Amino acid sequence: MIDSRPPPSLHLRRRRLRDRLATLLITAGGIGVLVSVLAIGVFLALEVIPLFLGADAIDTDALWRPQPVEGAAEPRHRWRPESLGEASPAHYGMLPLAWGTLKAALWALLFAVPLALGAAVHSALYMPRRLRARLKPTLELMEAMPGVVVGFIAGLLLAPWVELHLTATLLLVVTLPLGVVLAVGVRGLLPSPLGRRLPLGWAGVWLMPWLLMVGAITLWLAPWLEAALVGGDLRGWLAATLGLDYAARNAMIVGVAMGFAVIPGIYALAEDALNGVPDSLAEGAQALGATRWQTLWRVVLPAASPGILSAVMIGAGRAVGETMIVLMASGNTALMTLSPLEGLRSLSATIAIELPEAAVGGTHYRLLFLAALVLFLFTFLVNTLAEVMRTRLRRRYQRREGGA
Amino acid sequence: MARVDERRWLRWMSPLLGVLLLLLTVRVPADDVIGPLSAVGSDTLAGPMLRWGERLAERHPGVRLQLQASGSASAPAALTAGTARLGAMSRPMNDHEREAFIARHGYSPVELKVARDALVVIVHRHNPLESLGRRELDAIFSESRRCGADQGIERWSQLGGMLPADRIVLHGRNVASGTHDLFRRRALCGGGFRVRLNEHPGSAAVAAAVAAEPSSIGFVGLNHLTAGVRALQLHDAQGRVVSPTPRAVRRGDYPLWRYLYLYVNLPPGSALTGPEHAFLELVLSPQGQAVVEELGFVTLTEERLMQQRDWLASLPMAE
Repeated sequence: MIDSRPPPSLHLRRRRLRDRLATLLITAGGIGVLVSVLAIGVFLALEVIPLFLGADAIDTDALWRPQPVEGAAEPRHRWRPESLGEASPAHYGMLPLAWGTLKAALWALLFAVPLALGAAVHSALYMPRRLRARLKPTLELMEAMPGVVVGFIAGLLLAPWVELHLTATLLLVVTLPLGVVLAVGVRGLLPSPLGRRLPLGWAGVWLMPWLLMVGAITLWLAPWLEAALVGGDLRGWLAATLGLDYAARNAMIVGVAMGFAVIPGIYALAEDALNGVPDSLAEGAQALGATRWQTLWRVVLPAASPGILSAVMIGAGRAVGETMIVLMASGNTALMTLSPLEGLRSLSATIAIELPEAAVGGTHYRLLFLAALVLFLFTFLVNTLAEVMRTRLRRRYQRREGGA
Repeated sequence: MARVDERRWLRWMSPLLGVLLLLLTVRVPADDVIGPLSAVGSDTLAGPMLRWGERLAERHPGVRLQLQASGSASAPAALTAGTARLGAMSRPMNDHEREAFIARHGYSPVELKVARDALVVIVHRHNPLESLGRRELDAIFSESRRCGADQGIERWSQLGGMLPADRIVLHGRNVASGTHDLFRRRALCGGGFRVRLNEHPGSAAVAAAVAAEPSSIGFVGLNHLTAGVRALQLHDAQGRVVSPTPRAVRRGDYPLWRYLYLYVNLPPGSALTGPEHAFLELVLSPQGQAVVEELGFVTLTEERLMQQRDWLASLPMAE
């Protein structure tokens, strides 16, 4: 056979080969990732199936219905995978664990979302470029902190401190935001030369000493206030009047610790989203006479909302899956209360604690895989929801922009 | 040309290299105890195991002990799966675990007692409580109350007028731990813990948590007592109050004392490897028992030591 075309030069052939090879590798990588994600789900499902089918099947009601518990009058949700003989079989209630996971994530987001979004808005819209260039890497450094270290600090240092200074801690939650509002209000009243010395963009710097002072005053006043308002014993008062019992390792501590872990992620994504809003939009709004607040609230935030939403959702996904912080800071008590002052036990921490002792192939082992599957579904749902809402918001926003 | 030269050089050198290698292999067995030694199991026994490993490495520099201490329940699992031949446990193997081992290997693991210990109930150092009875202990930690208490004890004030009304915060070990299991069997009469029990992955963490929280109570091994916590006295069967001291454990007076165990995967009639033999010999020797004493545990009786040394001596020697 004779090819009529001139033979391609060696150089060209080599380049084509390289192209094809690169394409092949990239495709293989993409498919590989997809397959491995699917394989995780399939593997978990396969490990779990014998719980529901076959000779070793367990009563599925036991997974999510309250069961009679030895020593308790009424049936309860209970996770205790060890059997204590005839009188007290093992309890496989999955609900307290799922509850613990969601509760930890909820309190973490309650702490992290306002702080992270506030920081993102401030740094994207108000902060001078010089300061922002320093702040972003610092916050990213915070993300690099290992969960074990955060959990350790929360469990062994923060928890005992908060227990000793409970009144002060609860007061700080109120006084610090109030302090910020007060400072900004006072700044507005200052004569203009002094006010110009304290630009809004540098608020993060000049607010620090002020907030430290507010914190110190709160700490100093707390025992006095506790004595005056609740007779000097806040925990006793909480237990007596509100029925809230205090555990040192509680959802509040977990929320703060895990909040610290998710803040950098939420901040970084939300900040990028806000930065991505074209300056022309904000400038246009201000040119039409909108105040800074109106510009932010009516123009910039809606435009950035898809990105902000996905930032929050990714934070939620991280909070749901986080293991070491919950393991070390929560006390691992499988309770089902909403109270921020009591402990919890999450799915991921349960897997970490119990998998080493579970006999391979046993019921307990398979239950832990079921827990893993539930966790997988949780994160899957959160991420899918984030993606769906993000695309929908983006489409709506684009249509509006196109119509204008 | 250069390549050919190189090859010629190699051909000339290889017999020399071979002789050198032979010499090396002949040289090393002067100390025939060499090789890896891996153990899995109890967190309570982690301290003595590591110390024994160090002593062994002093005697036989070729031996390194690798220890994974994640809880007693991990020992039978590892022995059964064959990932380790030594398993350290702070409680005896239960029937279930033994059956699983036999089903896999066809024989029982060898059980050696290596030290005595006590489960100590600890409170914060400022807690004025002195002692607890068996029923009270059960009523505090369990919800099943199998030891016969009429009602659960949830607040300190239920134990005496001068104590505060705070809720008792419970600290203990994770389910994989032998300490957890043994406390449940012996102190709770086999019942179950309250859900409120804070589960920690190590005994040191329990002691640290109790030291940090005035309203807490917990249980650890004798060697984990720290300055921040105080050990409670317990009532024995006759109603006498006993402190958890090494002396009380030695005499068997303290109600919650226990043995610590080493399990060995050893087919009947076969020999231990050199490092295993040396390790067990060390553990049962006076030096090994001195380590036990140093770390706050209680040594075995001379009788029991002799008996186990005899067993070790009766094993066929490795070639």
